[in-house]
Amino acid sequence: MGVENPAEQGQILLRTRLCNPNFIYTIFSDSPDSNYSKLKYIMSSSVTEACNNSALLLGPRGCGKVAILEMVIKDLLHEYPDTICVIKLNGLLHSEDNCALKEIARQLCIENQLVFSKMASFDDNSQFVIAMLRECGLAHKTIIFVLDEFDLFTQGKQRLLYSLLDAMQSVTSQAVVVGVSCRLDADQLLEKRVRSRFSHRKLLFLPPSREDLQKILQHALLLPTESSLPPQYVAAYNKKLLNTLSDDKFKDIIDSLCNFDATFNHLLRFLFASVCHMDTKSGFLSLDNFKTALSSIQRQPKLEALQVVLDIVTTVVKGALKACLSPEMRRKTYCSILELYILVCLRRLEGKEQETTNFNSVMKEYKDVHNSFQTTDYYARNVCLRAFEHLLQRQLISLVDNRGHSQSVEFRPVRLLISSHELHQGLKAYRSCPAILHKLLDLAV
Amino acid sequence: MGDEGNPQTPRRTTRASLSSTPNPKSSTGKLKSCNLLPLTIHDLAYGDESISFNDLISSLPGRRAQIIELLHLLGPLDSPMFPVFVYGGASTGKTSSILQTFKHLKRPFVYCSCITCYNPRILFESVLNQLLLHRRNESNRYSSTKRCERPSDFVNLLQEALHNVVDSLKGNVEKSSSKKSVGRARGKMVYLIFDNLELAREWDKSSNILPFLFKLYDILKMPEVGLIFLSNASPDTYYSDTGYVEPVPVYFPDYTEDELCQILMKNPKNPKLYSSFLGVVLRPFCRVTRRVDELLTAFSSLYQIYCEPLDDLGIVPNEDMKRKLFSHLQPHIGPSLNETFKVESRLSSEASANTNKWKGIAKKVGVSESSNEIDFHMSACAKYLLICAFLASRNPATLDASMFDSTGGSNNKKRKRFAGGSLLAFELLLLLMHQLVSLKNLYETVILPSWSSEKSKEKKEIAEQELLLKGPGTFPLERLLAIFQCIVSVSECLPDEEAQGDGGLEGESWTNGLLSDVLLELSSLCNANFISKGGSCPLEGANRYRSMVSEAMALKVAKSLKFPLAKYLYRGG
Repeated sequence: MGVENPAEQGQILLRTRLCNPNFIYTIFSDSPDSNYSKLKYIMSSSVTEACNNSALLLGPRGCGKVAILEMVIKDLLHEYPDTICVIKLNGLLHSEDNCALKEIARQLCIENQLVFSKMASFDDNSQFVIAMLRECGLAHKTIIFVLDEFDLFTQGKQRLLYSLLDAMQSVTSQAVVVGVSCRLDADQLLEKRVRSRFSHRKLLFLPPSREDLQKILQHALLLPTESSLPPQYVAAYNKKLLNTLSDDKFKDIIDSLCNFDATFNHLLRFLFASVCHMDTKSGFLSLDNFKTALSSIQRQPKLEALQVVLDIVTTVVKGALKACLSPEMRRKTYCSILELYILVCLRRLEGKEQETTNFNSVMKEYKDVHNSFQTTDYYARNVCLRAFEHLLQRQLISLVDNRGHSQSVEFRPVRLLISSHELHQGLKAYRSCPAILHKLLDLAV
Repeated sequence: MGDEGNPQTPRRTTRASLSSTPNPKSSTGKLKSCNLLPLTIHDLAYGDESISFNDLISSLPGRRAQIIELLHLLGPLDSPMFPVFVYGGASTGKTSSILQTFKHLKRPFVYCSCITCYNPRILFESVLNQLLLHRRNESNRYSSTKRCERPSDFVNLLQEALHNVVDSLKGNVEKSSSKKSVGRARGKMVYLIFDNLELAREWDKSSNILPFLFKLYDILKMPEVGLIFLSNASPDTYYSDTGYVEPVPVYFPDYTEDELCQILMKNPKNPKLYSSFLGVVLRPFCRVTRRVDELLTAFSSLYQIYCEPLDDLGIVPNEDMKRKLFSHLQPHIGPSLNETFKVESRLSSEASANTNKWKGIAKKVGVSESSNEIDFHMSACAKYLLICAFLASRNPATLDASMFDSTGGSNNKKRKRFAGGSLLAFELLLLLMHQLVSLKNLYETVILPSWSSEKSKEKKEIAEQELLLKGPGTFPLERLLAIFQCIVSVSECLPDEEAQGDGGLEGESWTNGLLSDVLLELSSLCNANFISKGGSCPLEGANRYRSMVSEAMALKVAKSLKFPLAKYLYRGG
């Protein structure tokens, strides 16, 4: 669109890059012992040697399983045109056998320019798929089945997996089944008859190492020299970026990021947020951008992780400090005083080791507290009930079970979802918190 | 917030005028009525003049940082984005901020709220309808373009629809590059906004709808699509079995006191007067709630009281006047703090019995009521049933015999006559059996423990505690009917009372009436949620009931019948 701010153009380029799931994994395609090479070997052998294969790609979410698989498929399609047919299924969408088979038939029809009938029955579809497998095998055409969220396909009778793998036992067929799952025990979920037909090739995907991380950062953030962007800007930007990347403070930020979650996806989201905060006037990525990104992206730490977080606080730059306050604590600081009273009362009841607590017992405690300390904040029961419901809505407390729907909220047992430590922190952070609450909480502990 | 809705209630209009929430549904609704031109691709964005950045910021006080963050994440024109998850408490301006931002940016978007789209199918079809520029009207019998129930079908249809939209947007960009025109959607990105996502958690426990929505971006693999989720609940409350790819979070904190003041001061009729009013009430109310919607309802009635001494509402109050007004208002602040949530009833006294009944339910739920009168009509039979159910829920079953024998013993004969006249014989038998069993239990629970007073005191406390925790108990139908019989026979011997009761005229008919009439009344009480009907007990097989009425309410009903309820109530120990 004509002459534009180069910084904005640069930002769009970076955003496009980061939002493309496959981009950052391209640097792993050269090294010989990478998952990319292994997977490519497995799949290409099936194409060239006309054999059946199956593999599982396992690893935590956001480690690039699907992205690498897609890169491999793309390469294979490029290397062996017209001999590969890819069928993609997702456990979230097609975990039902009937639905999955229909989708396979639909995709096979599209690939082979056939007319797909929506009305076809399960039997028709399964016969069609088996016939197609044989035909493709005879024509030396490989069918690649990609089963994303593989663990979800193992729910139920596993008829789909069985019929697919069973069809692959015949000599005539030529197919690859690749399962992708974030459950490391995905192969244990298979039935015996399915497991025995499955080749136990498993590829484990792990979060990036420190060296990889550094490579990825440069790979993702450096602007290309040969592009439509003005070369002076690109040179200045890249120089500034390399400076920032080698900064010790930046390394601290990356450390605290990886302490939470070291997966590719988390890193990508962090980089995306940093690029979003880039100042379009100067057009450079500064340390401040990364700091704000960290504080905005930081996941909510689990309760046990909180101590770890507080240790990090002391070492990490001050800007990151805000991030370490969990959303729960931040949320709490904005609770009204009455809600704090209820939380403290609940905490006190917990301290008394009562088995179950519900609104009525909280109210009793609240009344007791009021009687013994003569607090100024004493509200009627229905106001308290509403505050109680607010807390439920904020998920600071939760109902213990979902049974007893016929009971009204007042009588259903509840549970505190924050630790007393967090409660302490929250009360301290809250400026206008009455001193009496601190005292009450201390007495409880 | 996504609280756009019925503009008839006063609360909504006040809020709407405050934040001037742009509601895409209603704006397209207006379009519908005035011209029925087919929808074009530009109707996906706001049609009217876009608002400037300064207007955007000033229209939403206290949300500056959040809007800037949103704008950063949405990025410049045609830049792809990661899914964004906007969360924060109720009434913190999430929906308004997003929609106003899109009004500012004039980019095409699709908005769906999980409140109106209350199941996956409606959600899917709503998204597709908007993308396919389909308008449901009489000629197509208000049907959707595509019928789609499963996520798998949805993905296929959505991909198709999105490709079409993006293609036409691209063509549109090429065309409009030559001459710019107002009312055109900008850019070639389409944004899907899902509001009130927290409701989707409840849809179906086993369904994968939430992981699916969070993964939609990866499944679609279209950089031209931006996903925005809005939710009351924070991301940590969405964790599911194997997790999901997390979107970029944006947090909307509750408003501070100053921000609340700015919001409430947005367009009062007399700003000076209103600000002096806020100076008095805002601080105490902030200690109870910070939700704008709740504050507004509370303040609207208080402001009327505040203005009562004034003749001219346009007056600019001086210090003296302020003091006078404050002293006038002060006695009302305390009580109204305790009924912040009272729903003002603007029903006239001639309101139909039907609406009155609903008010009764609202009261039962917890709206405080100062008067001792019950302001809804109910037949005497229903009132007695209500009291019986209350007693059956609160009293232990073992005490029924002793409770009702002390007074009911004298007119045993009468009861028998009466019972024989209207009840089936087996129920009488049941009543007798019940009494036999309960005599034994009475001995165990009441007479035995009273031997040692200390022990009984302890037990009393435990029993009280238990009562607080357990809430009203359940009871079988037979017990309710037995108590009903006893109570009716007792009240029958007080002749003056019947005539005064609400159901005085029908009195004769229902006391001598059939059991089926009583059962009919019971079922209507169940329908009105005064009595809840629980699942059946696996051993006995019959349905169990539970009274949902608060004690205050039950006492009020009893008072209207002149029935001495307190005498029959067991208070533990």
